Amino acid sequence: MSSLPSSASTGKESGLRVPSNGKTIYHRPINRTKTSELSQASFAFLFSEMVAYAQKRVKGIQELEHKLNVQGHSIGIKLLDLLLYREPARTQLRPQNIVALLHFIKQNVWLHLFGRQADRLEKSTDAEKPDEYMIIDNEPLVNQYISVPREMSQLNCAAFVAGVVEGVCDGADFPARVTAHTVGEGEMWPGKTVFLVKFRSEVVEREAFLAKS
Amino acid sequence: MVVYSFYIFDRHTECVYVKSWMPPQVPGTPAPVLSTGSDNAKLIFGTVFSLRNMVRKLGGDDDAFISYRTGQYKLHFYETPANLRFVMITDTGSASMRNVLHQIYINLWVEYVVKNPLAPVEHKGGAGVNNELFELGLDQFIRGLM
Amino acid sequence: MKVASKGHSLFRIDNTRRVWFSNSQDKIDILETNSKAETRFMVSPSWPDTLNLTLVSPDSRTVFSLIIINKAGGLIYNKTFHEGGLNKISTNDYLVLAGTFHGVHAITARLNPVKPVAPPPTPGTNEPPNRPEPSSGLEVLETENFRMQCFNTLTGTKFLLFTETTQTNVDVTIKRIYDLYADYVMKNPFYSLEMPIRCDIFDRKLLSYIREINNR
Repeated sequence: MSSLPSSASTGKESGLRVPSNGKTIYHRPINRTKTSELSQASFAFLFSEMVAYAQKRVKGIQELEHKLNVQGHSIGIKLLDLLLYREPARTQLRPQNIVALLHFIKQNVWLHLFGRQADRLEKSTDAEKPDEYMIIDNEPLVNQYISVPREMSQLNCAAFVAGVVEGVCDGADFPARVTAHTVGEGEMWPGKTVFLVKFRSEVVEREAFLAKS
Repeated sequence: MVVYSFYIFDRHTECVYVKSWMPPQVPGTPAPVLSTGSDNAKLIFGTVFSLRNMVRKLGGDDDAFISYRTGQYKLHFYETPANLRFVMITDTGSASMRNVLHQIYINLWVEYVVKNPLAPVEHKGGAGVNNELFELGLDQFIRGLM
Repeated sequence: MKVASKGHSLFRIDNTRRVWFSNSQDKIDILETNSKAETRFMVSPSWPDTLNLTLVSPDSRTVFSLIIINKAGGLIYNKTFHEGGLNKISTNDYLVLAGTFHGVHAITARLNPVKPVAPPPTPGTNEPPNRPEPSSGLEVLETENFRMQCFNTLTGTKFLLFTETTQTNVDVTIKRIYDLYADYVMKNPFYSLEMPIRCDIFDRKLLSYIREINNR
């Protein structure tokens, strides 16, 4: 770097250089094209290898789903930061209640990852389970090309996306367990998936406390 | 249309007649090399025999294999009721040669081979087929097509 | 003018409802067309009677079945779309058929009467001499009852599509099936290469695509 004359003069400044308008490289999508499209085929092949890789080192379906979940988890944590950072400065707040967080996931996270919003958001109707919420995707992009063999019918590879959601929840300080379940809806949506978000008890407690105050 | 070669197989699966025609050379391109070894006749018989069986299995016993085409040539097949098999190889552009093969059977084979008192009943090694009238008639007929 | 037998002469019908025969200058006017796709023709007064010609209606197109053979000659997929088009044969027979066809395909490539000639090397460059285009194997098989088209991928997987003899646009159909295969079989993490294809989504997409063609 000594060959660069500027390095001597800016030697005292920190390594992170922020342009005058305040917009850094993180504000821009990686892909500059207008639609910012990525090849779905390359993703499909990559994801296929991820599943195959996870499958080699597990004994059961639950373990496989857990592996996929872990693969997605760190993405979720990082994605939360990135997406909030890209929000306009006034709304640059992390979601502070469950509904806001879930809306953020349904809209921003889904839009960023899959180019569309999730299809529906539901709260468990069971009064005994106030901690359960559901994000519903009629046709998860990750599963588009995947046919799960009959003997593994319990498996849903969207466990990876569940991991991402879990990462976002954890990162926003709403620790939760997120699992993906297939609930095929006839011919129309054979791959309909419900992401069951089960928040930890202290999250629900806090929510109730905040609502009162 | 170009006819490359013509084969007759008798009911003992033996090749009793082979004839090939050099395609006319197109100026400016290298001369095509025709390959008609004796092995070729065996390969051709094996191929049409397998395909014929396959077609019968799938299409029913009344079905008959007519022709197949590759990127470079087309093979036409015609089988008489007495299990005599006629095979003609042409270029890919030619239409169905079923009628042509049928004509060869009625007008040449029956006339000049079957009705020839000197031809034996079995044409071992091509005996009786390679007579002048049949050869001449066939050559004229094919050249007339080209 | 000769019309040898019905359905065997090549002709087309123009928009003035006049029939042109491909092998002669003669033309005839259409009298009527009934619902069974039969068309009655009135030939000029010199022709004594009316002819009945059955037009092969362009709508009657049916895809009978699909077979996929892997590069070693093993049967990896076999689906019938239309009952009655082909004889029903056992799975074992299909396996034998796939193996036989694999061998026949290789031989048909060797039987090429015109030996492929390498294109001449570009003059003035030191490039190695060009290789001749390899001979393709069997592409279309025609019989009295059906037509079979074979699509050989660059990696040696073969798609065999059995259709009616009059089927058109089989190239497009078979390419689309290859697309579906590339999407729903090759991108499926649970599919092992060269093994029998058991992918629900592939089945579903394939069936709906073929149904669309068969019902058109």
